[in-house]
Order: sequence, then C-alpha cells, then structure tokens
Amino acid sequence: MTDWLQENVLWLIPAAPLLACLWIVLVGHVIRRQYAHRPLVIGLAVALVASLYLLTVVVPHGFGHEHEPSHSVVTTVYQWIQIGTIDIPVKLRADAMSALMLTMVTSVSLLVAIFASSYMKGDPGYPRFFAAMALFVFSMCMLVLAGNFLLLFVFWEAVGLCSYLLIGFWFHKPSAAAAAKKAFVVNRIGDFGFILAIFLIWQTFGTLDFQTLFESPQRIAEVLKSQPEMFHWICLLLFVGAVGKSAQFPLQVWLPDAMEGPTPVSALIHAATMVTAGVYLVARCTPFFVHAPQVQMIVAGIGAATALIAAITALTQYDLKRVLAYSTVSQLGYMFMALGAAGGGAELAVPAVTFAMFHMFTHAFFKAVLFLSAGSVMHAMGDVIDMRRFSGLRKALPITHWTFLAGALALAGVPLLSGFWSKDEILAVLAAASRGSEHGGFYSVILGIALLTSLMTAFYTFRAYFMTFWGDEKFPEEAGHHPHDAPPAMAGPLAILAGAALVVGLISGPTHLYAHYLHHTPGFPEGHEFPMDWLMMGVSSVLAIGGIGVAYLMYVRSPKTAENLKNRLPIPFLVSNEGLFIDWCGYKFIASPLRGFAKVCELFDRWVIDTLVDCVGFIPALFGSVLRPIQNGMVQNYAMVMMIGLLVCLITVLRALAVTTSGTM
Amino acid sequence: MPSLLVVMIFLPALAAVALLLLDPQASAVRARWVALIATVATFFVSWGVAAQYLALPAIESHERGPVHPQLVLRQTWLDLSVAGPVSASGPDSPAIKMEFFLGLDGISLALVLLTTILTISSVLVSWTAIKDRAAEFYACLLILETGLIGVFCSFDILLFYVFFEFTLIPLFFLVGIWGGPLRRYAAGKFFVYTLAGSLITLLGLVSMVVTTVKANPTLVTPFSIPDLAKTLTEHPLPAETQFILFLMIAAGFMVKVPLFPFHTWLPLAHVEAPTAGSILLAGVLLKLGTYGFLRMLLPMLPDACLNTGLPVIGTMASIGIVYGSFCALAQNDIKKLVAYSSVAHLGFCMLGLFALNIEGISGGVLQMINHGLSTGALFCIVGMFYERYHTRQLNELGGLATKLPLLAVAMVFTSFASIGLPGLNGFVGEFLCLAGMFRAGDGIGVLFSALGALGVVLGAWYLLGVLQHAFFGAVKVPAESHGHDHESVTDLNAREVVALAPLLTLCLLLGLFPQPLLNLIRPDVEAVASLYEMKAVKATAVVNEPLKHSPSVALGSEVRP
Repeated sequence: MTDWLQENVLWLIPAAPLLACLWIVLVGHVIRRQYAHRPLVIGLAVALVASLYLLTVVVPHGFGHEHEPSHSVVTTVYQWIQIGTIDIPVKLRADAMSALMLTMVTSVSLLVAIFASSYMKGDPGYPRFFAAMALFVFSMCMLVLAGNFLLLFVFWEAVGLCSYLLIGFWFHKPSAAAAAKKAFVVNRIGDFGFILAIFLIWQTFGTLDFQTLFESPQRIAEVLKSQPEMFHWICLLLFVGAVGKSAQFPLQVWLPDAMEGPTPVSALIHAATMVTAGVYLVARCTPFFVHAPQVQMIVAGIGAATALIAAITALTQYDLKRVLAYSTVSQLGYMFMALGAAGGGAELAVPAVTFAMFHMFTHAFFKAVLFLSAGSVMHAMGDVIDMRRFSGLRKALPITHWTFLAGALALAGVPLLSGFWSKDEILAVLAAASRGSEHGGFYSVILGIALLTSLMTAFYTFRAYFMTFWGDEKFPEEAGHHPHDAPPAMAGPLAILAGAALVVGLISGPTHLYAHYLHHTPGFPEGHEFPMDWLMMGVSSVLAIGGIGVAYLMYVRSPKTAENLKNRLPIPFLVSNEGLFIDWCGYKFIASPLRGFAKVCELFDRWVIDTLVDCVGFIPALFGSVLRPIQNGMVQNYAMVMMIGLLVCLITVLRALAVTTSGTM
Repeated sequence: MPSLLVVMIFLPALAAVALLLLDPQASAVRARWVALIATVATFFVSWGVAAQYLALPAIESHERGPVHPQLVLRQTWLDLSVAGPVSASGPDSPAIKMEFFLGLDGISLALVLLTTILTISSVLVSWTAIKDRAAEFYACLLILETGLIGVFCSFDILLFYVFFEFTLIPLFFLVGIWGGPLRRYAAGKFFVYTLAGSLITLLGLVSMVVTTVKANPTLVTPFSIPDLAKTLTEHPLPAETQFILFLMIAAGFMVKVPLFPFHTWLPLAHVEAPTAGSILLAGVLLKLGTYGFLRMLLPMLPDACLNTGLPVIGTMASIGIVYGSFCALAQNDIKKLVAYSSVAHLGFCMLGLFALNIEGISGGVLQMINHGLSTGALFCIVGMFYERYHTRQLNELGGLATKLPLLAVAMVFTSFASIGLPGLNGFVGEFLCLAGMFRAGDGIGVLFSALGALGVVLGAWYLLGVLQHAFFGAVKVPAESHGHDHESVTDLNAREVVALAPLLTLCLLLGLFPQPLLNLIRPDVEAVASLYEMKAVKATAVVNEPLKHSPSVALGSEVRP
C-alpha cells in the first residue's frame, strides 16, 4: 500500500478534485443538486491526506537540520506538445516547496468547501459553484505541481479562468460581470510578461523543464558567463507575471473589485491561494533571481509600494470585505518585500524566500478565517456588508466574533500568534538587508515602509473589528429581527481556521521547522541559520499593540473622533477612500484612451483603408467613363469616325506611294 | 473503382447537381435533408481517406522533397511534349505536361477534415434560417465544399488555381442572394477584390514555372507542386528573381488571408453573409490564403521568404493582430467583431508560418485548424441568437445567460477557446506561433512576437466584453420585435446542439491532446522547415550573387528574339 501510494500520490492530489469537478458537471448538475458539494468535499479530503503524505515522500529524512540536497518526485502523465525543440510533457513534480504549498491549498480549500456547503445553500447555481471550485482546486494543485514553465503557465491561466467564473458567479449583477472581466484582462497583462519570459527561457536554455533548469547549476553558470544580462530580462518578465496574479502595484486594481464574488471564493481564491501564485512563482525561480539583484530590488520596491498604498486605502473603507481585500494586497506586498530582500546580499536569499513563503502560509489561514467570518456576518445581516449599517454584533454572533478576533489578532501581529512570527521574520530579514553595505540605504527605506505598514495593518484590522462587533447593537432591516450565528457547517471550519491562525506560526518562529523543511527544495542556494532579531520583534510588538490601541480609542472609547477626523481632513480621507485614485487613473488614462484609440482604428479602417480600396476599384470605371462617350451607338458618329479613319489610311498610303515612286524615279 | 479521394472531392458536387437537376423547386425540407446526408457522407468518406492515409508507411526524410503528397492520382491533362522532341522545339517551347494531380499530405488532410466537419455544422445552422430558394442555397454550399476540398487535394499548380478561384463562385452567390441588406455590394467587393489579387498570383505562379523551366529544361512536369519544389530546392532561383516572384504570388494570398491592410472586404462580407457562409468563409476559405503561402511560397522561394517574407509579412501580421484587435474592440455588431478577430487570429497564423522553423510552421497549421473550429463555432452562435432576436448589436442585448443558459455556456466556452485559454485549442497554436517567431529573424522576431502577445491581452478584452454586455448583466431584449415574440424565445434545440457539439468537443480535445495532430503534420512541416535550417547554417558563407535572370513575365515577353 505504501509503495503504491508513494508512486501514485503525485497524480492523486490533482485527480481527486478533477474527478469531483467532472462528477458535478455531468451528474451532480442534474440529480441531487442540493448535494453537489459532497463530491468536492470528499475529493478535497483525499487530496489533503495525499498532500500530507507527500510531505514525507518528498523529504524522507524528516525535518532534521541536515540540508543535504534532496530530490524531487516526478511523474509524467502524457506527452502534451512535442515538436521541433519544444518538448512539453504534462509532468508533475513535487519538492519541499510544492509539498508545503499543497498542504496549505488543500487544507484551506477543504475547510472553505465545507463552509460554502452551508453558505451557498439555496442558491440556484449551487452545483455550478462547486464545479467551478473543484476546477479551481484542481488547477491550483496542478499549478503547484507543474514540472515545467509552460505547464505552470497553463494552470496559471486556468486559475484565472476559475477566478473569472467565480467572480462572475452572480452574472446577472452588472457589477459582478464587469469585475470578472476586469480581473481576467488585468491578469492577462501580467501573463503577457510571463509568456515572454517563457519564450526567453526557452531561447536561452533550450528547455522549460524545472528539473533541468533548477537542479543543474552548471547550466545556469554557462549562461551566466555568456549572457548575464539575460537573467535580468527573464526575472523582470517573470515578475511582471507575478505582479498581475498577485495584485501588486500597478495591477492591483482588479482584486478589490473581485469581492463581487461569493465570500467563500474571496476567502479561498482571492486571499489564501490563487493570489499567492505570484509569490510562489518568484520563490520557485529563486535560482534565477539570485543572479539578478537589481530585479530583486525592483521586487522589494514594488512590494513596499503596494503594501503601503493598500494599507492607506484600507484605513478608510466601509465595506468589510474591501478592508480585507486591501489588507490582502498589502500582505502580498509584504511577501514581495521579503522576496526582494534577497537583493541585499547573497546570504539572504534563503531566509528571504523562506520567510516570504512562511508568511504566505500563515496568511492563508488567518486571512481565510477573516474572510469567512466576514461571510458569516454577511450571511446573518442579509448580505449587507457596509460596516456603517451594523454594529455591536459580538452578542448576536458570538462564534463569528471569536473567530474574527482570532484572525484579526494574527493579522495585526500580536505577539506569539502566527502573523507575529511570520511578519517579524520578514522585518528581520529586511533589517539584515538594510545593514548591507551595497544597497543598505534602499533597504532601510523598505524597512521603514514595512514598519509603517505594520502599524497601519493593526489599526485598520481592529477598526473593522470594533466597528463590526462593538458599540451599540444595530442590524440592517435586510437581516430580519433575529440574525442567526453560523450554523455548524460554517462554525466548524471557522473554528479550525481560527485555531490554525493562532498557532500555526509556531512551526517556524520558535522551532524553525518550516525553514528546515523548505531548505530541502532542490536548487536553493546553501543557507545558514538566520538568527532571531529581538529588536525587530520588540518594535513590531509595540507597533501591533499601538495600532490596536489607537483603533480602540477612536472607535470604542470616543466613537466621535473618527467622524470628526474625517470632517476635519476631507481631502486625505477622499484620497485614501479612493485608493489614491489609482483605479480612477487606470480608467481615465489607460482604458479610456485605448478605447478611444480603438474607435480611431475603426474609423480609420472604414474611411481611410476601405475608401482607398474603393478608389482603386473605381479606376476601371474611370477608364470606362472616358471611353464610354465614343461608344454612344449613333450611326452618324460611327460613320464619321470611319470616314476619318479611311481618310487617314488613304493619306498614309498615298504618301507612302509617293515616297516609293519618287524613290524609284 | 475511383479512389476514395476522388469520391470525397466530388461527392458534394454530385449531390448539388442532383439537387438542382431533379427538382430546383424542391421544398426546403427535402433540400436540407439531401444536403445533410451528402455532407455527412462526405465526412465519413473523408475519415475513410484519413484511415487510408494513416495506414501508409512513413517515408524516410531523405527520400522525400519539401512537398510529398501520398495517395497520389496523376493523369496527364495537357502534354506539350507530344508536339515534338525536346531538342527540336528549343528552349522557348519546352516539353511540359499539365496534370490532373490529386494527393494528400498531413497538412492538407487536417484541413480537409476541418472542411467536412464545418460543412455539416453550416448545413445544420441553415436548417430553419433559409427558407427561400433552399435547393439552390444548399447546392451552392455543397459546390463550395467540393471546391474547398479540391484546393487542399490539388498538387498541380493549375488545378490548385482552378479550385482556388472556383470557390469564389458559390460563395459569391451565397453572400449575394441570401445575405443581409448590403449583400450585393459586399458580394461584389469580396469577389472583385480577391479575384484581382489572385490574378496577380496566377501571373506570378506561371512566371515561376516558366522561369524554372528555362533554367531546368529537363523538368517535364513543372506544374506539379512536388516536382517544382524539389527542383527549386536543388537549383534555387536567384535572390532577385525570387523577390519579385514572391511579391507577385503573395499578392493574392495576402488578400485572401487577409493581411493588414488588405482586409477590409472581410468584415463587410461576414456581416452580410448568411451564417453558413460566414462559417465556411472564416473557417476554411481564409485558410486558402495561408495554405497558399505554405504550399506555394515557403517550399519554392526560400530566399525570398527568409529575406523579404519574414520582415514584411511579419510586420503586416503583427500590425494586423494589434490593429484588428483594436478594431474589434470598437465594434457594436458582434458579427463584425468576430470578423475583425479573424484578422487578428490569422495574423498569428502568418507569424507562425513566417517564423520559418518547425515550431512556428506547425503552430501556423494548428492555428489554421483552431481558428476554423473556434471562429466557426462563434459564427454559429452569433447566427443562433440572431435567429432569435434579429439583432447583433451589443447595446441592444443583455443578460442572455439568464434566458438562454445553454447558448451562454457554449458562448463562454468558445470565447475562451478563441482567446487562447490554455487547455483549449487556441493556446497551443498561438503559443507555437509566437514561440517560433520569437526565435526567428535575429531580434526582429522578438518584436513581432511581443506584439502578437499583446494581441492576446486585447483578445481577452474584446471577447469578454461581448460576454459582459450581451450575456451577463440584466436581461435586455431588443425593443423592436421584427414581428416575433421575444418572450417565447427558447434555448438551444437538439439540432443546434448537434451543430455545435462537434466543434466544441474538438476545441477541448485539440487543446488537451494536440500531439496526434502535430504528429500528422510533422513530416511535412519538418521537410519545409529543413530548407531554412540549411539556410541558417549556410547564411554566414553566402554572398549575394549578382542578378543573372530577371523573372520572365508570363506569356508574352517570351517570344522576343
């Protein structure tokens, strides 16, 4: 059994949700529609067990400190494209990094699926929802397991499709339809960079296979010797792809709008899993990125800018889900800051990637619980999500209150909870980078932004918490008289996720288990122990508690303060509330001019090119009209022309005769 | 017993003749059943031909020329050598034969199968839409099928040209009789424009043959495409001659593809054509242009393709991709939008072909098939909701997904196939085309490829825009009812599902398993691409030779002493 499992676990993980998807589409759509969630839940449970087992298969020696180069597990499913020098099998490949990511994806999606089975009850599109979700989990697992760049790209787009289908789930709402299109098109801009990066890798290395590319340092060394600038281009273009998928500045505009989808979707796709694919991509390509320190600085810079912008925007939002959405963008920026910190020195590469991946891991849990709790609030409030319309819910919704609080504490980075450990490590590695001699100044600025963002994070999270759960009890009329707290199918996943949000940080912070495990990823540069940074720990604790304290003062102690502040500073409020007008600028200066240009093209096509064609077509007619008067059918004219012709002939002949006769004489 | 190949080509025409001769006033019911049976029979025959072809043993690459048809059927048609011995007639009247030369290779087999499948769908979508002069309509459709299959099976230049031009006639009637309000103008423009281009092509083709025969008097069958290609591989024409011939031959194909800026006939013809006409026009007829490039230019004039074709056609194609996408974005008429998207998609195809390497050319061929399937399906769907609502204007429609869920599912699926979502067919072709181009042409290919990739972004924008406005959002039906009740509109019926299902299934299958198709075309693509691989190796040593021969302008200038 274990032998069989060892060989087949790899394809079992994506196959389970795929089968669930097919089952729902073919059968569950027609009969027993209200049980359409069951195949998915079963499939995800299988996938979760398989992923947990995969953790031990990939690193057989356990979680020890020895970092001997570990292997990756590979299965080829079938030959997909093979022509010329392009050779793309559908190949699954797992190493330490993918195993960790898979565990996170399958566990969070299992809990979200159980939650959604209750949350989506009664929706006419119930089976469609679970079919799309199954397709998403399949695609996400395949994205993580992809054995070459093209396959990664395939599922990179496939998760985009699922995101499109799920954002537009309530397609009769024009706003949902618009948001779905926006998400897909903005993502495509990132994909534009990604596909060019793939072409460039193929041209430079002659292969797209991860195993060949990442596990053979001599190949990279060869290219490094002959075309070192190539790495910059490849990494830059790959990062463009990551910017799109992970909603980084300036392509972050799609994510807040994506909240039009059902809340479980926001929790799973737009917080925990899909949006972290960009982080995964950059982490996966660490063997390339270490040779492009300038690009790593760009990564850190973009990450910092995104984190700051999103945090500023989140300060003044009234839509609970939008607060969380901006917070997701901000935390993703954090992860990119961490990844970019590797530019501060070669020895920082491994800690940078490790901590970015670890923050992604913890973030998945605490952000999922926050979103699902928000969903539970929405469920109880009759789909009202504006925080101005309800308050004081902590008595009416006790379970939701506690789970939200757990997630909020973790996100704010309160000491000893999961967000604290992961965020603190990012700060530590940034601090180390800022001590570097080469780009120390740059990374000091990044560190400053990270600290500022951390303060704002604590503030806006607890602003949302206090506005929702504290104060006078107030329900909107949509909620009816007695709002119900989460039913068991929703409460269970909430409780588990809340527990995870509290304790999951322990596997890295104090124990370093996560880091030791991730080091087994083949192709990672050799790294050494990264010491704890006590100073940063202290600073970040103070910031977290400070932020919570300010929120408490402003929204619980004297609730008037916030309103006064808003009236006192209308312009900063507006700038923050509108997200620094980035979305507005995008519409105004990019989308509208392009539409205008399209209009110009259309007119040009109709009036210039086509008219030219018609003009050319007119030339024969023109000829005809010149010649036509001659053929007028009047016998007199013809006779006259004939006479003239005869005369000319006669004269010519006579003259010729005259010449010949004179010649002979 | 005639070979299956001949049966496949002429079966639809026979059915058409029967339909017209027996009873030109036949009722629509009988006409459409005859047409359906004939097209389905042709489809099965084409599978029989495919089985025959696949059963043949593989040919070693050194035994074959750049073009190597199999299942060959050769009959001499016109033999000039009978007039006298070669030596007596002199170099100006060479002993050449013109042939009735049919055959198949992997590329043409793939396109033939595409044709037979699409014709069935176009018969099915016309089922209730065509009520007037139905017998004549279906006869035109069947004759068109014969013409299209004939082009792909001809391996003699004259025969190819005959079929190539012959396809114009039935389509001219399809657009001109059963089309929309501007049908006469559209049909005339389409006919004259493509004909004018093709005449230049004919001139070029004959010049190429004459020039080759003058240089190689031993070539007895210069009109045979395989023989001509082989001769030209061994004794290439001088670069300048190739350049002029390339421009002449390309002229007609450029209009047919259509490449920017010769594309304006296409949106017009599509908008006015009946649905079946649009399906075959976009699905197969445009491929005659790309097929012509692949068959006539790539193997025959390699220097010109490399030095002129790559930069010139690459520029036109990449501009076409971006420009066509922008034009599509500005459209309000969905059919016109799809027509402009064809301009963009065919641009990918041309980028692939003129990458001149295995990846690019096979990508180009795949893109021909894929575009046929996905755009064919898109036109089917547009026709289906036009039949229901009598409008194609985006701003008059909305929320169709609520009223017509099946149609909406088909539309979403097809749109994603068309915008190249990986896993569906469009992606494989586009990827190979762009990847091939990326590697070609010393850096300029990178630019073309990047522009092409930009087109992929725009493609998502305009097609998802259609979904957003017409299919999602609040339900909106056109105010004007055209004498029909919009309340009673129903979702797809069984016939429409049968018309769409094969296309959509193939979209999915070719996306997941493109390898069988790639294997089918691989030997032929490799043979063409190998011409250019040798070039790449030799490129450093080659010095431009001075002008030796100017191309003989066909028929005329030859007689000057």
